[in-house]
Amino acid sequence: MDEEQQDREQPETVRCSHPESDCSPDATDSLDAAAAAAAISSHDPSLSDRDCGTEGPFPGKSAGIKIISSTNGPVEPDLQGPGGEGPSERTANHSEVSVGEVNGRSRPEGAEDEEDRPEDVSDSASTDNTLEDSSEFVVTVLTRASLEDQADGPSSEPSGLSQTPPPSNQDEDVTAESWRQHRKHVFVLSEAGKPIYSRYGNEEALSSTMGVMMALVSFVQTGDNTIRSIYSDEHTVVFMQQGPLVLVSVSCSRQSEQQLRAELLYVYNQIVSMLTQASINRIFERKKNYDLRRLLAGSEKILDGLLNLVDSDPSFLLSAVHCLPLASALRDSLSQILQKAITPNLVFSILIAKQQLLTIVQEKTVIEDARLEPADLHLLLNLIGASSAFQAGEIWTPICLPLFNPDCYFYAYISYLDPPDCTVCLLLLSTDKEAFYAVAECKRRIDEGMRAQNALSSIAKAHSYSASQVGVPDLRHFMYKPFDVPDNHRQLTQFTSPEMEAPYSSEEERSRLLDLYRYMHSRIHSSSRPLKLIYHVAERETLLAWVTGKFELYTCFSPLVTKASAINAITKLLRWIKKEEDRLFIRSPPKYSTTPNPSKSSRGSKGASDRPDGSDNGFLSLL
Amino acid sequence: MPDYAKTKKPDVKLVILGDMNVGKTSLLHRYMERTFKDTISTVGGAFFLKQWGPYNISIWDTAGREQFHGLGSMYCRGAAAVILTYDVTKWQSLVELENRFVSLTDTANSDCIFAIVGNKADLTDTRAFAVEPEENGTEEKEQGPRASSSPAAPPKGHKQVSREDAVALYSRILQYKLLAEETCLPAERMCFETSAKTGYNVDLLFETLFSMVLPSIRRKEAQSDSPTVDLEECREVKGAKPGCCT
Ligand SMILES: Nc1nc2c(ncn2[C@@H]2O[C@H](COP(=O)(O)OP(=O)(O)OP(=O)(O)O)[C@@H](O)[C@H]2O)c(=O)[nH]1
Ligand SMILES: [Mg+2]
Repeated sequence: MDEEQQDREQPETVRCSHPESDCSPDATDSLDAAAAAAAISSHDPSLSDRDCGTEGPFPGKSAGIKIISSTNGPVEPDLQGPGGEGPSERTANHSEVSVGEVNGRSRPEGAEDEEDRPEDVSDSASTDNTLEDSSEFVVTVLTRASLEDQADGPSSEPSGLSQTPPPSNQDEDVTAESWRQHRKHVFVLSEAGKPIYSRYGNEEALSSTMGVMMALVSFVQTGDNTIRSIYSDEHTVVFMQQGPLVLVSVSCSRQSEQQLRAELLYVYNQIVSMLTQASINRIFERKKNYDLRRLLAGSEKILDGLLNLVDSDPSFLLSAVHCLPLASALRDSLSQILQKAITPNLVFSILIAKQQLLTIVQEKTVIEDARLEPADLHLLLNLIGASSAFQAGEIWTPICLPLFNPDCYFYAYISYLDPPDCTVCLLLLSTDKEAFYAVAECKRRIDEGMRAQNALSSIAKAHSYSASQVGVPDLRHFMYKPFDVPDNHRQLTQFTSPEMEAPYSSEEERSRLLDLYRYMHSRIHSSSRPLKLIYHVAERETLLAWVTGKFELYTCFSPLVTKASAINAITKLLRWIKKEEDRLFIRSPPKYSTTPNPSKSSRGSKGASDRPDGSDNGFLSLL
Repeated sequence: MPDYAKTKKPDVKLVILGDMNVGKTSLLHRYMERTFKDTISTVGGAFFLKQWGPYNISIWDTAGREQFHGLGSMYCRGAAAVILTYDVTKWQSLVELENRFVSLTDTANSDCIFAIVGNKADLTDTRAFAVEPEENGTEEKEQGPRASSSPAAPPKGHKQVSREDAVALYSRILQYKLLAEETCLPAERMCFETSAKTGYNVDLLFETLFSMVLPSIRRKEAQSDSPTVDLEECREVKGAKPGCCT
């Protein structure tokens, strides 16, 4: 609530222009301050009014919401949590539970494609103010249920796990107040209500909490509807069903439903990256109450790590890849080294330093048939981060790239090029399970190539940049995601951003800035009223976000900046980026050919939904 | 075919198998890096090269998770030695060896040797507990408990798997492999109790195995004129080995 109130109390000015209006793509390339300023002011009166005046606490809410169930009745019958007599009596003094509907949402595939599209959320099921009590109730139910669990002791059902999980979040006492106060809980359960994962606390201790969640989901389902979210003053509860899995986010981070949903999708896709969608579906088709933890045991840290990254790394918010700035000549020579070290069935060669991308080389057919989605790369990088404990070795592991193809495995070779420092990581993806020695041989050659050019020391010198290098006094930080870097957008969406420096050097301040960016992002991408431009005066800084057909930009200025000078600064910033473009981005990912008879797909790859389906894709059939 | 590098070509292959969390990665880390540190559950398998005298020994540290079970036989292909690891405080971890892991070794060399290793002995055994990490826990050091050397409480973990259980498993494995016990290495020499935490018996384990697979290296050298050994050759060996299908 804080932020919203703050918006209203401090005369925050939100200016925006409507989609397809002034900030047309063509105007942006040669953007000048005057044009931008005009674009903003021309829409001042009406929009700022709408923006600030009528909005409730939840930006995503719109008048078009369908409330499909109300009264306190409906929730009761199905709410028999496994832990006890069910929480029904607690509902007595609460008023309404409203749940939005989305028809046909239960299709497991396809659903993930749609998540990013703004219109998809337009029927999103927010609830309105009358729901405070009932949503509070759900949260209460969730916490109460866990109390009951404790009383009963952990579920007596034997699980296939003989191990106690290593000390981590899992050991947390789920009855403690501190457990409830986590900013964002994430739960994964099976359709049968079996716990699969909980970000905090042991899933088993939470089995009746999850039972309650599943009861909610299935209750709404009986009416051919899908529960999507529940709001309270404090919390947003977002539900997502993906095939036989149900994912739930309980958050007090004030993020938009759309953002939380995108995060749940990352969690689902990380699970798919380990098991493949096909096998998850197959497992549950055979045995509805299968305990998926048997297969995921040991992967909790990977999911924990993912959720920490999602909270701290804006790449996830922007669905774009962060490159390490590098002189283009150096980047090209690295690419060439990768390009030369190939073996049959090698499809991606990726070089990473300091968790940022150095270069990526792809198999030709891959480029024509599908592209590597940033999300897949993020999941891959998270997996590397989580498996790098013993860094001297060469890792060989199956991994699925869920957006590329959710049903197939690639085999990933992961090795560090600079032991014992382990900052430069090589990732080679093959479609051949048996190719380890051949792929490891590619690494030897890459090692040699790098040594010959002394590339490692050049990479070591590469570093991110400071916002002060832009030469705009009040500019503290920014995130710029271009759509127009030649060739590359279609292949790999990237963004650039300087280091977060003072006053954002502490953990708290950093996450506060990220929260502000998330807020701006949710406004820009609001399903009910997407904005093109937002000027937001916050307490300790001023932010300006702008999206055009050619880029998406978030900037953060010192609080004293005026609107005119912010616009002016953005003009300078865009010029600076243009000048540095070759260094900041991978211009066109190089290619190689490792498939003897690349069978060309008939489909073009123009659209955003070009997903290979395996059957008409020559090289995928090799999997 | 890419031309293989002339350097660091592995001479022999050793694979570590066992349920998740028994301490496979920790054991290897203790042996290679001389330390015990926090680990993350292994994904897939991790390949290491250990220079041992003039030899390059390749070691596969595999993931114990069921999720990666399908890869096990690939990692075992052509192995000269397999370390089957369990946790002395978890009976189930010994059961899993028999249930899930022994059959993976079907792709190993026909003369593959097996070691059964009960790890985390520090939790149950005063001797293993008291070993000083600095001394790398070599087997000869059977010094009495030294209160000063270990700040933690003495072991009070319940030992669920006895050495006899491991010895019994060893002979069942030989049976499964259709090998006569008399012609194989004796169980007493092939069953170990170790602690990756204190280093107890860790060097003993690896160096005993290395010295046992040496004959295998020598034989390969004699067979091939070229200085490099093609690991792929192990595929041919597969058909010739005694059948033990399940
Ligand atoms: N007390 C004690 N703990 C150990 C010992 N070895 C390993 N551990 C602990 O056991 C846990 C698992 O160790 P890992 O080495 O990761 O187990 P792993 O067998 O490699 O597990 P996967 O990679 O999942 O198959 C870690 O928390 C280690 O700290 C030991 O000798 N003594
Ligand atoms: Mg391991």
